[in-house]
Amino acid sequence: MATDTETAPAPTTTDIEHDHDHPAHLQHHFVSSEQQFDSAKLGMWLFLITEVLLFSGMFVAYAVFRQWHPTAFAEASATLNRTMGTINTIVLLTSSLTVALSIHYIQLDKVKQCFYSLLATIGLAGGFMVIKYFEYTSKFEHGAFPGGLFEPHGAHYEHLAQIPYAPQFFSIYFVMTGIHGLHVLIGMGFLGWAAFHVWRGAFSSEYYTHIELGGLYWHLVDIIWIFLFPLLYLI
Amino acid sequence: MSDDDHHVLPKNTLLAVFGGLIVLTGLTVAVAVEPVASLLGPLTVPVAIAIAATKATLVVVFFMALKYDNPVNALTFTIGIIMVVVFITFTMFDTVYRGDLGNVAPQTVQEMDRQQKEAQQEMDQLDSEDLRVAPADYPDQQGAGGESTESGNADSP
Repeated sequence: MATDTETAPAPTTTDIEHDHDHPAHLQHHFVSSEQQFDSAKLGMWLFLITEVLLFSGMFVAYAVFRQWHPTAFAEASATLNRTMGTINTIVLLTSSLTVALSIHYIQLDKVKQCFYSLLATIGLAGGFMVIKYFEYTSKFEHGAFPGGLFEPHGAHYEHLAQIPYAPQFFSIYFVMTGIHGLHVLIGMGFLGWAAFHVWRGAFSSEYYTHIELGGLYWHLVDIIWIFLFPLLYLI
Repeated sequence: MSDDDHHVLPKNTLLAVFGGLIVLTGLTVAVAVEPVASLLGPLTVPVAIAIAATKATLVVVFFMALKYDNPVNALTFTIGIIMVVVFITFTMFDTVYRGDLGNVAPQTVQEMDRQQKEAQQEMDQLDSEDLRVAPADYPDQQGAGGESTESGNADSP
């Protein structure tokens, strides 16, 4: 390599430039950092659309069965804890703000603030999962399991046994919030990985693709919950 | 590649969007509690979905910065959302108006409509207490329907 630069004949100049005159993060098949960043983002948006389509299947199931069995859905939905649902919505919205702030900070090279914003996001995501855990266990205690395991008991749940198709609501509730919760856990993992690398100083305003993509993913998880919350808890 | 500098959203914009999201969350809870909920009546579901859609739009446009982003990303996302709307709407076109596909009784549609209306009137007179029945408690209408079908078939040859 050293001999290459010394001898540097005219025809190979471009090769040498291509090998050495670019930032460490820029891969060879991209013209510029900008192109690399834009490609990664377009890829992420395509992935996010597949995620939206994954959830849309479940939203269609919700819409069809709710339209067929409105009484069962209304009665079963009334057993969900609105307070916990509202708190969880606010927790997730706040985590969306902190992840947006982490991108804002890394764009301004404020690495420390970016790191703490990502930590706050992960903390809030953990809080969301803890509240979800308490909601799930209170349902399990009353036998409000999905599908065939449905055997409600206790003051506010007993009457559900008399309502046809009530288990269907809980099937949809557990599957939708369960898969959403899985996405929260994956997002926590990815943002945790990003935070670790921010702490190591791997990212700067020049190169923060992973934080940007993690942020996009996290906002999508938030959007899914924005729809799940009113549909399952409120109406 | 001309715009090498990424758009940095000001902190105040992010905080304002967050404030808007919290207000809309409060609003969607407020329209779901009792005095307002019964006032809205059949509008409850469209209103809740409209508020959720507004919140999602705020997140997509500002937090995900689609407004300042490469337009191809917005195009990708919009096409995807149109597909989701088609998916939901066209499925509902089927399932809402499907009726009873298993019913092959030789009845006219008008006859079935009239029966449905009668049943609906009966339902309207019931209060919610009467609706709490197990599937086993259903009146044996199916059996009666089956008999009439059989007799109808027996008449035709």
